[in-house]
Formats: sequence, structure tokens, C-alpha cells
Amino acid sequence: MKKIGLTPYLLLLPSLIYLLLFFAYPMVQSLQLALRREGQYLHLRAEAKEEAAPTGTVAMQTDVTVLDRVRGEELLPNGRTRPVYWFLVEGPDTSGVPVQGWVSQRDVFIESRTESTTARVVNGEATQEWTLDYVRRMVTDFRFGNALATSVLLIVLILPLQFILAIVMALVLQSQIRGSTVFLYIYAIPLGISDLASGILWYSIFTQRGFLNSFLVSTGLLDQPFIFIQAGNQGWMIAAIVLAEVWRATSIVMVIVVSGLQAVSRDVIEAGEVFGANLWQRLRYIILPMLKPSLQVALILRTILAFQVFAVVVAITGGNVITVLANETYRWYDPARFNNPNVAAVYAGFIMLLSLGISFFYLRAVRSQEEATRAT
Amino acid sequence: MTETTYPDRIKPITPSAERLDAQRRRAKLAHAVRRASIYILAVAIAIWILLPIWLIASMAFSTPADVRAFPKQILPSPFSTQTLEFFLNTQGIINSTINSLVVAVLALVISTLLAVPAGYAIARYLFPGRDAIRLGILSVRAFPVVVLAVPLAVVFIRLGMFDKVHSLAMMHAALTLPTTILVVASVFASVPYELEEAALIFGCTRAQAFWRIVLPLALPGIAAAAILTFVLSWNEVFAAILLTISNRTLPAQILYTLDKSGDPFKFAGGFFMLVPSLIFIFFIRRYLFNMWGQINK
Amino acid sequence: MAEIVIERAVKRFGKFVAIDDVSLTVHDQEFVVLLGPSGCGKTTLLRAIAGLGMLDDGRIVIDGRDVTYLPPKQRDISMVFQNYAIFPHMTVFDNIAFGLKMRKLAKETIRERVDHAAKLLHIENMLERYPGAMSGGQRQRVAVARAIAYDAKVLLMDEPLSNLDALLRLEMRAELKTLLARLGATTVYVTHDQIEALSMGDRIAVMRAGKILQVDTPTRVYDLPANQFVGSFIGNPPMNFLYGQVRRQDGATKIKIGELLITPPEEMQPPLRAYEGRHIYLGIRAENMEALTQPSPDTLPVTVEVIEPLGSQNLLTAHIEGGMLKISTHPDFPATTGGQIWLRFPVRKIRWIDPDSGEAIVPDLEKVLA
Repeated sequence: MKKIGLTPYLLLLPSLIYLLLFFAYPMVQSLQLALRREGQYLHLRAEAKEEAAPTGTVAMQTDVTVLDRVRGEELLPNGRTRPVYWFLVEGPDTSGVPVQGWVSQRDVFIESRTESTTARVVNGEATQEWTLDYVRRMVTDFRFGNALATSVLLIVLILPLQFILAIVMALVLQSQIRGSTVFLYIYAIPLGISDLASGILWYSIFTQRGFLNSFLVSTGLLDQPFIFIQAGNQGWMIAAIVLAEVWRATSIVMVIVVSGLQAVSRDVIEAGEVFGANLWQRLRYIILPMLKPSLQVALILRTILAFQVFAVVVAITGGNVITVLANETYRWYDPARFNNPNVAAVYAGFIMLLSLGISFFYLRAVRSQEEATRAT
Repeated sequence: MTETTYPDRIKPITPSAERLDAQRRRAKLAHAVRRASIYILAVAIAIWILLPIWLIASMAFSTPADVRAFPKQILPSPFSTQTLEFFLNTQGIINSTINSLVVAVLALVISTLLAVPAGYAIARYLFPGRDAIRLGILSVRAFPVVVLAVPLAVVFIRLGMFDKVHSLAMMHAALTLPTTILVVASVFASVPYELEEAALIFGCTRAQAFWRIVLPLALPGIAAAAILTFVLSWNEVFAAILLTISNRTLPAQILYTLDKSGDPFKFAGGFFMLVPSLIFIFFIRRYLFNMWGQINK
Repeated sequence: MAEIVIERAVKRFGKFVAIDDVSLTVHDQEFVVLLGPSGCGKTTLLRAIAGLGMLDDGRIVIDGRDVTYLPPKQRDISMVFQNYAIFPHMTVFDNIAFGLKMRKLAKETIRERVDHAAKLLHIENMLERYPGAMSGGQRQRVAVARAIAYDAKVLLMDEPLSNLDALLRLEMRAELKTLLARLGATTVYVTHDQIEALSMGDRIAVMRAGKILQVDTPTRVYDLPANQFVGSFIGNPPMNFLYGQVRRQDGATKIKIGELLITPPEEMQPPLRAYEGRHIYLGIRAENMEALTQPSPDTLPVTVEVIEPLGSQNLLTAHIEGGMLKISTHPDFPATTGGQIWLRFPVRKIRWIDPDSGEAIVPDLEKVLA
């Protein structure tokens, strides 16, 4: 290690600035998109004058009733005057309470200046305000509950399968078999495969004229192809997504578990053997407890990544009948569909909070469990 | 040798020859069964991984008629590149492939150039705040793309950087930068500092020592990290589909046209996308554990 | 208590033969040390006794039971590992109790035996601690306590002291020796440290390249090495080997080294006759030569090249025809670098070695005498 100077900070600076730019700044932006609304508000005046005291504010596009009107004069730059109407109006303010006050004819749309009894506010000052409207839009959208439930269901189904398979893979790789480097490469292949490609792969298996049906029909197990992927068969669609995700994303867990296993010395496992533990007991009492830190990291990582599952779902099911949170984010953002980045940002924030919450929960759960074992 | 063997002393107290033989056979059999089951398991898992790849590959090399046929063949017969050609000739595919390559290479260059000095600093210097910075980098490496893509798209629109290939590349570089820094740091840490000191003793400046001794030794690991960035960028679809419209990358283009496309297009596209991954994972397989092994420390 | 009989054991790793037709008997309550350079197969042999890795041929009998193909669990053995192999996620208590729990013993029995073992190793106040924060010496004690508490017929130790620093090793060595003598367990102890082997073992089995070269008490291994390898591997400095010509002179077989003629003792005359006209090696330990400052009959003049004062003795390195010679002298012996001294070789202390095989010409000299 070298002595401290300015050098390490200078070396790190570009990266840190870059990360701040692409992580911290978007986070702030995201918060604004999700919770701030840009609006224009008109101040109602106590008298028919520009400089009169405000009596309340009315949002743009609010319909108001006209109670009274006065005709004033306005001085034009060329020295002439022209008539300007002021109206006494009543309408709901931003919180829905009726307010009264004077507005100039420039600020409202009115059919007839002399006769109409209703008008619509068309002008005002631009302001920003906090709002939960977008959050409300997300929560009340009928797909939201669906997407959340499916996302959670997928995690509950996928993670246990992934962890069991990954541990088995890692134990096989560590059991000193010939060609273990070849097996390692094969097991690691899915690491480099995108969720879209993986979705298409499993679509080719589960689709009506796919490989699974080909197999079932040509072996005579079915007379004609079974349509796995259709609106009435949500169970099969979920199963296909689960398989695709287990197939694709187990490798990363496997790599983490193998590096965890490498840190467990052979001696320790052999000590278990010498002192009378059988294979299951060695796994249960020695290997798994020692892998706990690695498993915890893998669990957090996989949970966070699982909320981002998106292309698999679209590739296998089309993303309409079965939807997940990331898919909803895209749907709200997509200019060709809802074109509402604000609600999309709320979804993004929601995914963020879920990820953080679950990570925190895992860490707490593991820690309290450790304290419990230490206490006994 | 002073030690002699005692064959006649053992005989009376050990099991008879046949029983011993039976015991030996049983033990050898049990051992063989154990080994065999491990191999069977290993091969079964390998088949589980490889079979879907084989299936999609066989589709990609069949004629479009065979792709639509039912029941499907496991082997492409006749072997044909028509389906792949059809895919590649579909409008927008060549362009989006070029876009994907440009984005991935740009992302790789940006992320590597930023990560090498940062990784070196973390590996070689002990300075106040080092652990905090490390932890910070560690914690953003699992940061969800979904969360970043929406606000970045809005910011890019505002700055006039929306729908630009280099904007997406910058985003991908940001996504992989934390991982790249940590991998590069672990690679530098594995080059003994004594070598650098030896170079200093024998007349190198610090920069020369880095350039002539450390960098060549760390280069394979850095290359692995760079390849990882390439693969991640090549595969990334969420940010790509949000941040681009006319300059789509390959996955974004395929995803966007997925519901309007027939099976031959989908299967050929699926295969085409996973080929680079097969190659690149082969090159970086030695470094997989560098990427995730140091995670607990 | 138990006797271990290893009979014609063979273990291969691919083409490499790690244990090459080894036979060894460890008597009941005996402490046998397997000693040899790294890669000689000593650890492999120990692991074969433990049941960690199956023999390719031969058999292992413990207490009259053929255990060659049994897993460790059924062999009634216990072991101390080189890197201690303490379970890091368990308390000291759980570590020591592990084997007993696997045997499903009653809770009170476990508590009792753990406490007993912990007391023997003076770690009774650490039972609730985790090994993570413990020193190497403390972990070592936990590993030994775990092995003792398991109370098996056979205790196996794989270089248990090699990871300790020098001072601690010295202390632990003595402590282990008393402890094991008290327990009376049949013990096989692997080490590459000859001092450890000489000071601890009832018998030492010296191994090289998968074979046992000699099994004997420490004194006999030291004084009467079976061959050149054992002589040079054991002892510090290693045994000197002088190259001498065997010739017939004055009606007796004599060996000529430089100008010096050595007359072998009477009992060596018959076997050495066969070597007349050829060369043999004479093995002699540094402390067994007599160094003189003046020429005298039957001495070999040598030039001192290096003097290393070692406190209790001075170690001289001298140049002779065809090699170097290490001579241990009293610190007061007035040798000077570059000066000449004269060496006398007491014939009873010489080991006569066949130059082709490296084996002692008469391995059991006492038997010949008797």
C-alpha cells in the first residue's frame, strides 16, 4: 500500500462523478417526475384591478360561474383605449372549496362577455407542486395489482428453485470430476444470454407448434397440440416464465455459490466426515451455514433482478394477460401507448422501494437469526 | 527395512477372504455408484442448459417452412440458412445490429477507461474513505435499470440527447461501471505489489512501473471485465427500448416488433442474439469468480 | 485401545503412485510419527488410515477389524487437521461437541466430555466464543480438544504444529506429548519436522517417494540410519558422507580417504570384503568426529572454510577431497577460517553405506554383534 496523497482521489474522481451523474441525478429526477406536478393557477382578485389582493386560486381549465361583470378601460401603447371586462366569478379552488373573486377577460374563455353566466379559466401562473395523483393513478390502475402479484409470485416460485439448482451445480463442480472446467463453462453460458433471447428460446418450446407439443404428439402422449400459452392457461404461462428464468438466471447464483464454496476449506468438510457426519449432515451443519454470506448476497441480487424481469414475460406471453411491474413501467412510458412518464416514474420508484425493502428485510432476518443462535 | 509384515498375524482376527472380497466389492461398487451419479447429475444439468440452445439453433438453421412445420424436428433437415437470411434481411435488423455493436463498444470503452484508474486506486492505495467508496460502488452495482431508465429518458429528451446511440452507450457504461471497477480492482490486487516496487528499484517511475509491469499482468482480467460490459450492453433491452426510437439496438428492435413477427423471425433473432454471448463467456470463464468471488469482503 | 496394521497399501493418483506398497504396524497405545519431505506420501497414508480416500490395494486393520473399505465414521478414529479445520460458524463448545452430537449421545454426557477435554487443553473459559477471533494456538487447542473428546481408538494428527510460530510450537510440543502419554491413545502423527519427530515419537517411520525407508526408535533412526537418505534427512546438520576406497592392506580390509586409512571394526570386516577394489560411503555425524589442532596418527587433515558459532557448539565447514564436511566442536575449540585441523573418525560411529543402493551395508549392526 502506498502512502496517502491526492492521487487515489484523482484516480477515482472521474468514476465517482460519472456514477453520480447517472445514478444520483436520475434518482432526483425520478422523484420529481413521480411526485411533482407542473400546473398553472389563476389568482382571483378582491377588486377588478390587476394589483388588487388575491382572494384565492383556481386551476387552469376550471369551470366557474360568472356572478357579476364590470367594463373597464385599458390603455394601449398607441395612446388609445379599449374596453376590458372584469368578471366576478365563483369556482372551486385547488382543494375544492368554492372561492369568489375578480378575473380579467384575458384569463378566462367566455362565450359572450355581456351575457354568459359560465366561463373557463385559461390562464395563470406556472407553478410546481407536490402531488400524489400519479401514485393514485398507478395504484388504482386495474393492472397494478395484477403486475405486483405476478412479480411477487414469480419471485416466490423462481428463487427456491434457483437456489437449490445452483447449490447442486456448485457441489457437482466442486466434487473433483473430470472435465469440470467444461461443465463450468456450460453452466455459465446462460450468464451471457439476455432475458429476451431466453424468452424466445422457451417460447419456441411452449408455443402451440413448439418443441414440447412436438414431443408430446410424436410420442403419442397427446393426440393434438395443447395450447399452453393462451388467456385461459395462466398457470402454464407462469410455468414457462419460471422455467425460462430458472434456466437463464441460475448461473449467476451458481457462480456466487461456487466462489463461496471455494472459501470453505476441504479440511473443514473432511473434519465433518471424520467426526461422523454423513453427506446430508455435512451439507446441513457445515456447508450451508458457511455459505450463508454468499447465499445472502445472491438472494438480494436475485430479488432485485427478478423485479426487472420484463422481456421474458413479453416474449413468452405477449405481456398482456400476464404482466409484471417492469412491463407496466414500460407500458406507461411508451409514447405509442400511455405516454405518461410520470406514472412510469412512480412504477420505477415503487420497484426501487420494494427492492430496498426486501434487501433490508433479508439482512435483518439473517442477523436476528444469527443473534438467536448465538444466544442459545 | 526393519519392519516386517505380519500376514499370519492378521488372518485370524480379520474377516475371511470371501467376506473381505465381498466387502471390497461392495465398497468399490458404492464408490463407483457415487461417482457415476455425480457424473450423471453433471451431464443432466449440462443437457438442461444446452438443449434449449440446441433447439433454437436447429430452428435458426432450418427452412422457414420447417420452422412453421409441426411436429418439429430436433435436427435441421434440410440444413438451411434461409431463416437466418430472412431475419437479417428484415428491415431494421442490420441497422439495429450495427447500433448494438456501436453502443456495446462505446460502453466498453467508456467503462474501461473510467474503471482502470478507479480500480487501481482501490487496489493499491489505503486512503480515508476507501471503504465507504468501495461500499458505495458495491451497493449501486445491483441498481435496477428499470428505475434509472425512465428519468434518464426524460433528462435526455430535455438535453436533446434522446434517441442517440452514444446516450444509450453512456447509460450502459454507467450500469456496468461499478462491476467493472470492482473486477479491475481485484485484478490489480492480484498483481503483487512487490513487482511494482522492484520496478521502482530498477529505475522505473511510478507511471512506467504501472505501464510496463502492472498493466501487462492485469490486462487479461481487464479484458474480461471489458467483455462483460460488452455482453451486458449487447443484451440490455429495457433502457434500450426506452431511450431509443429510430436508433433501436437489436434487442429493442426485436422486442418492439415481436408481436408483429412470425416464428421464423423470432427464432432466428433469438439465436442471433445469443451467439456472441456463447463466445464471450468462453473467454471470460476464468474470471467469473473474480467478478463475484470478492463479494463478501 | 487398538493396534493399526497397514499391509501392502497402495494409493495412486492417476499415474502418480503416492503410497507404494507400504506396510506398517502401530502397536496399541504407541505414538508413531510419519516423517518425510513434502510429497513423500505421509499425509496420504494418514488420510488412508482415516478413510479419506480409498486405498487402491492392500488393507488397513484397526483393532482386529478390516476397515479398508469403511467410511471414516465407522473406523472409530479421530483426527487433528493441519489447518485445524475448526468450524468457523460454531462456538468452541459446538466444535468440540460436534462428533459427539453426530453420535447422538445424551446432552449431559456431551457436556461432561466437552468440559473434560476443554480442561485438559485449558480452554474451558472459551467455550462460548467463536473461533474467528481466536489465535492460532487457541484454535490448535480447540482442534485437539475436539479430537480428544471424540474418544476414538485411534488419534490421527496431520502436521498439527506446523502453523504455529516457533516458540508456541515448542511449548505445544511438550504439552501434547504429556497429554497423549496420559491418554494412552494409539497415535499416528505426520510431520516434516525431524526435531518434532525425534522429540515426540515412540517410533519414527521415515518416508520418501511413497515408501517407508525405516521404522525405528528416534535414537536408532538418528544413530543408525538405514540408508543415506535417512542419514541426511534426519539430524541438523545432516550426516556427512565421505567417499572412500576399499582396499586390502596388511591382511585386513581398509578404507582409504585421502591419505588416511581407516580400519573397520572386526564385525564389519566380512561384509566389507565384498567391496574390495570399489568405493563406499562412510556416514558420520558432525558431533561424532574428533577434531584436533595438531597432526596425529590416523587423522585426516582438512582446511576450515566457515565457522558458525551456534552457542552450545561451533559448526565448522571443511573442504575435503570430493565434498564438504560439517564438524561440530566445542565452542572453545581454536579453529580459524582458512586454518588446518585434523579429524579422527571413531570407527564404531561410522555407518557403512553401499554407494549404488545408498543402503547401509549392515543395517542391523547390533544383531550382528549379538
